[in-house]
Amino acid sequence: MCDKDIKKLALAHLWVAFGAFGVASLLGFYQVVERSGLIPALKSPALYYGSVSTHGVLMAFVLTTFFIMGFGYHTAANNGAGFNRCAAWAGFWVAAVGTLLAALPLLTGNASVLFTFYPPMQAHPLFYIGATLLVVGSWVWCVLMVMAAGAWKQANPGAAMPLPLFATTGNAILWLWSSVGVALEVVFQLIPWSLGLVDTIDVGLARTLFSWTLHPIVYFWLIPAYIALYSFVPLAAGGKLFSEELARAAFVLIVVFGLPIGFHHLYMDPMQASGWKLAHGVGTYVVAIPTLITAFTVIASLEMAGRARGGQGLFGWIGALPWNQPMVLAAGLSLLMLLLGGFGGLVNASYAMNAMVHNTAWVPGHFHLIFAGTVVTLYFAVAYRLWPSLTGKAFRKPCLVLGQLWSWFGGMAILTTPWHILGLLGQPRRISSVEYDSPLVQSWGAYEAIMIAGGLVLLLSALLFVYNLASAHWQGEASGEDTVAYAEPLHPPGKIPALLNGYAVWNWVILLLMAASFGYPIAQFFLMKTFDSSPWGY
Amino acid sequence: MDKRLLILPALLATLAAPAQAEPSSRVAWTPETLALVKAGNTGHGQELAKNLGCDGCHTGSTMPDAPHLAGQLATYLYRQLHDYKDRSRANDTMEAMAAGLSEQDMADLSAWYGKQEASAATPAQGAVEAAQRLASQGDKQRLVPACAACHGGGGQGQAQDVPRLAGQKPAYLAATLQAYKKGQRHNDVYQRMRAIAATLSDEEIHQLAEYYAAQGH
Amino acid sequence: MHINPLEKKWLFASLALVAVFLGSIFYTAFERNIHPPSHVETVDSAKLHLGGEFAEDKLGVVGQADGSVRVTLVAGRYGFYPRQMSVPAGRPVTFRIASMDVLHGVHVPMTNMGTMVVPGYVAQVTTVFPKPGEYPMLCNEYCGMGHDHMWSRITVVAADQWQPTATTKGSN
Repeated sequence: MCDKDIKKLALAHLWVAFGAFGVASLLGFYQVVERSGLIPALKSPALYYGSVSTHGVLMAFVLTTFFIMGFGYHTAANNGAGFNRCAAWAGFWVAAVGTLLAALPLLTGNASVLFTFYPPMQAHPLFYIGATLLVVGSWVWCVLMVMAAGAWKQANPGAAMPLPLFATTGNAILWLWSSVGVALEVVFQLIPWSLGLVDTIDVGLARTLFSWTLHPIVYFWLIPAYIALYSFVPLAAGGKLFSEELARAAFVLIVVFGLPIGFHHLYMDPMQASGWKLAHGVGTYVVAIPTLITAFTVIASLEMAGRARGGQGLFGWIGALPWNQPMVLAAGLSLLMLLLGGFGGLVNASYAMNAMVHNTAWVPGHFHLIFAGTVVTLYFAVAYRLWPSLTGKAFRKPCLVLGQLWSWFGGMAILTTPWHILGLLGQPRRISSVEYDSPLVQSWGAYEAIMIAGGLVLLLSALLFVYNLASAHWQGEASGEDTVAYAEPLHPPGKIPALLNGYAVWNWVILLLMAASFGYPIAQFFLMKTFDSSPWGY
Repeated sequence: MDKRLLILPALLATLAAPAQAEPSSRVAWTPETLALVKAGNTGHGQELAKNLGCDGCHTGSTMPDAPHLAGQLATYLYRQLHDYKDRSRANDTMEAMAAGLSEQDMADLSAWYGKQEASAATPAQGAVEAAQRLASQGDKQRLVPACAACHGGGGQGQAQDVPRLAGQKPAYLAATLQAYKKGQRHNDVYQRMRAIAATLSDEEIHQLAEYYAAQGH
Repeated sequence: MHINPLEKKWLFASLALVAVFLGSIFYTAFERNIHPPSHVETVDSAKLHLGGEFAEDKLGVVGQADGSVRVTLVAGRYGFYPRQMSVPAGRPVTFRIASMDVLHGVHVPMTNMGTMVVPGYVAQVTTVFPKPGEYPMLCNEYCGMGHDHMWSRITVVAADQWQPTATTKGSN
């Protein structure tokens, strides 16, 4: 049941998420213009790095966390899983206050350490404390989701947990496991160090702990998008979900194998030995399997829907799909970007080839395609799907909804294609201007100019998105929609094996895998003689 | 004990040691050294400055080779005093001054001058366009980074010990760059300033000195 | 449980795909000995200049008896020291790099010479530059407001024209 209170709770979370998204989009456009160097008056490393830090934190931490929490509460309530609402609001306010505390030093240029923190450069303590509170707020959500799933299972003994609820629970467990790394870094290293309680920091240990979080956080962001692909897309296309069991298996694989593989972010770091990197590299490829399964199942579901609508021949079903449905359009565009971004990801994940692209412009090109492209497009679609029931209002102009999705896709293509090329041409990421004396840099200018066009399209699309939501919410006509439905599986789930209906056993598997993959690499810093770093400003 | 006896082991140690040049500076920014400077006692520093007569040259005087110290980074001041004492930086007067100072004295003096209000800017004499360009953009052909990269956008200095330039005496700034250029001053670790100054023309040095003297409040 | 035959085929195809990728990685790692820079060695970054391998007069390019070349560098805001160096093409060049301050990264574009330079640890990477030319050796990790300016110049010369002592010292 999704009553009024739950809707209010979900809306509060989604508005914080999309408000942060709107601000971050403005910063993104400024950055692409600044770093092109075309407007010399804009040049300012201090503003640029402050902006990049804020953009990264808002997009990767605030947009995602609040969206995931809001969508998660809505999913649980809609699938008959109850939770303590006061606790949920408390979690919301803890996370919101944390965001505000972190925003103060960020916006005043006192936390220009980008979103991966960069010790031994030191930000204002409020930044680390605020970020911690944001995570603590999300832990409240995790605990509530796990408890809600447990209560649901008790109330429905032997029954198959609804797929969206099963996936949301998996995400809560994934995030509890993955956030431990960054929490250890922030609580035991960064906060005491920024407050001056300890003088030094072991940068190698800090980076290793962050890498623990840095990969699974991507799946934390991705799982809600996959929930949309499995649970909303087939229905919107007029069909059913091709296989529910395989969907469950995909979520379990992501939760289990998404965790012990963070070292592909440390391939080029000197403080971890190559054997550990190779082991994490193998896991990185294994976790591609659930994505391959997802692509298959979603496309199969779409094909069935297309054929049911009269599509003929090998590809005729594609044209028969209802592309004027935002959810279907978003799925098509997302899968396209996932395909291209996934290819780039294989290069990054490659143990040997990574050296060619590490920290080049290729990398932000890649993750903008995967995160800002694939994931955020599905966040848009979820918002468009939920809005009429959450607010009770309809969108004033459906064509603006479709136009927004298309323009985001177009902007992302215009932005990320040159970005990838710049990486192959050797341009490093995280520079605010090009200061190298080399013939190589002459080939960069044109691509940077094209990226500005992409950034502009994306900014307009982002503003259109916020406008669509706001105009519906406050000026829309009654939608008459009260509930949100999920796709039915082609074969009703009969008896689901316990392993695909809960995570109890999997938590033990994760514990073993994490101990095996991170145990020694973390312990080594306490076993060998290390020399810690003093704090530096920027 | 006969002091001559001490010479022998010292001589042997010198012969046994592998050929290794002296470091540009013996100061290392270990946590202990940073903490020492950070906790410098300004009261004792003020007293020392009075007894030693530091202000005679460094405050209010127009002596071109005596820089303003007020508002300078304490870390920078500490390292310079240490370098004078170690003879990593040469200046007869300052070597003699620093010779009698303890680690704590140097930290206290540095803290005292570090917390003073920085001296006011003096208007630049003549053109400074070339300096402005070097300060904000550097010159990539010559591998010269923007001065602002290390010394800060307003020449205010930066951790750990990049000195404040803003409001400094132009004659002192010019003399310092010339000394780096000629290698007479060599207490910049890894030759970071020497490599840059070596590429600067006399006119650029003059302009840079005027430009940074005119910065600040 | 329903596992569609098509699903089974796709699962096998996925596994085969992953096996191909991993197979090529294992091949390059164990047959061609290509590993990312993973030299676990600690160093006191605050005291680099006081003596030892990273003392000022020890930096630079040195030819080794076996024909390989060793380059010892310090990364610091905002450059790699020495600022200019020259190495031979076609010969293995081993870089040993330590940071004197914050986190840096080094990359010579269009080559696989790259590594993170983490304070407290020595970064070591070996590569062969196939083609002579002048390359920027740039910092590819955010290290502060002057990060854009952090680069040095590396000249790759034909092996028979390379002078081992040409630029071994710190100045440019």
